Amino acid sequence: MIRNNRMTTRKNFPIRLAVGLFVAILIDTILQVVWKSAVLSLPSDGSPWLNVRAVLHSPLFMFVILLMPCQFFNWLMVLRNADLSFAQPVAALSYVTVFCMSVFFLKEAADLVQIAGILCVLVGVWFISQTDHLTQPKEREA
Amino acid sequence: MMGQAAVGVLLVVICALLEGVAQVFLKKSVLGGVRWLLWISCGVVMLLAEKVIYSQALLFLDVGAAFAISSLNLISITFMSRFLLREKVTRTRWIGVCLIFVGVALVAART
Repeated sequence: MIRNNRMTTRKNFPIRLAVGLFVAILIDTILQVVWKSAVLSLPSDGSPWLNVRAVLHSPLFMFVILLMPCQFFNWLMVLRNADLSFAQPVAALSYVTVFCMSVFFLKEAADLVQIAGILCVLVGVWFISQTDHLTQPKEREA
Repeated sequence: MMGQAAVGVLLVVICALLEGVAQVFLKKSVLGGVRWLLWISCGVVMLLAEKVIYSQALLFLDVGAAFAISSLNLISITFMSRFLLREKVTRTRWIGVCLIFVGVALVAART
């Protein structure tokens, strides 16, 4: 009963925060998958210098480098609208999306333990979503 | 004398703590204080230091193991949010964080 009350008294969830979290998860997913693809495209027996040259000439790596500041500034926008202890766990949904993309696009194997882990993450994020997204200044305990 | 795996684990745990501190700095930078530039700079420096140390940890550990241990950062971030930023962390939020930690560890430990 108490928990139900806590759930129904949640403050409105701002659309800006929802979009920010969605973009954070999306960018993180794209980053991980493209990064992995970019690393796989490097010559496996190359020297470190050859690898640096390959990185500088790879459009995939350039794309990754371009995405990183976008991810950073979007994250600052998310933090402006939400508690750190709310936003960080919700952004962990990117573990789920990266896993799905790895299985479907990179054809990586998945087993039952990993699927159980994904379910755990989803249930965990659901729990987080049941809490207030932002601590008001008067609620901050001494 | 510590084994290589123990050194790797120690480095990844340090990374989890650094990530927590970095995120606290970033959060402080958007709280509207006058020293926002200082906080954001400290946050970026911490994140860079974390990446360097994590790279070193990968010399001693498999990526899967390192990634699983690094999910400890969720716990460290929640602790620091509660005690340094004084955020209201309810029992429901703790349950969620712990479930996500276990879930990420399960996924990463098998990779």
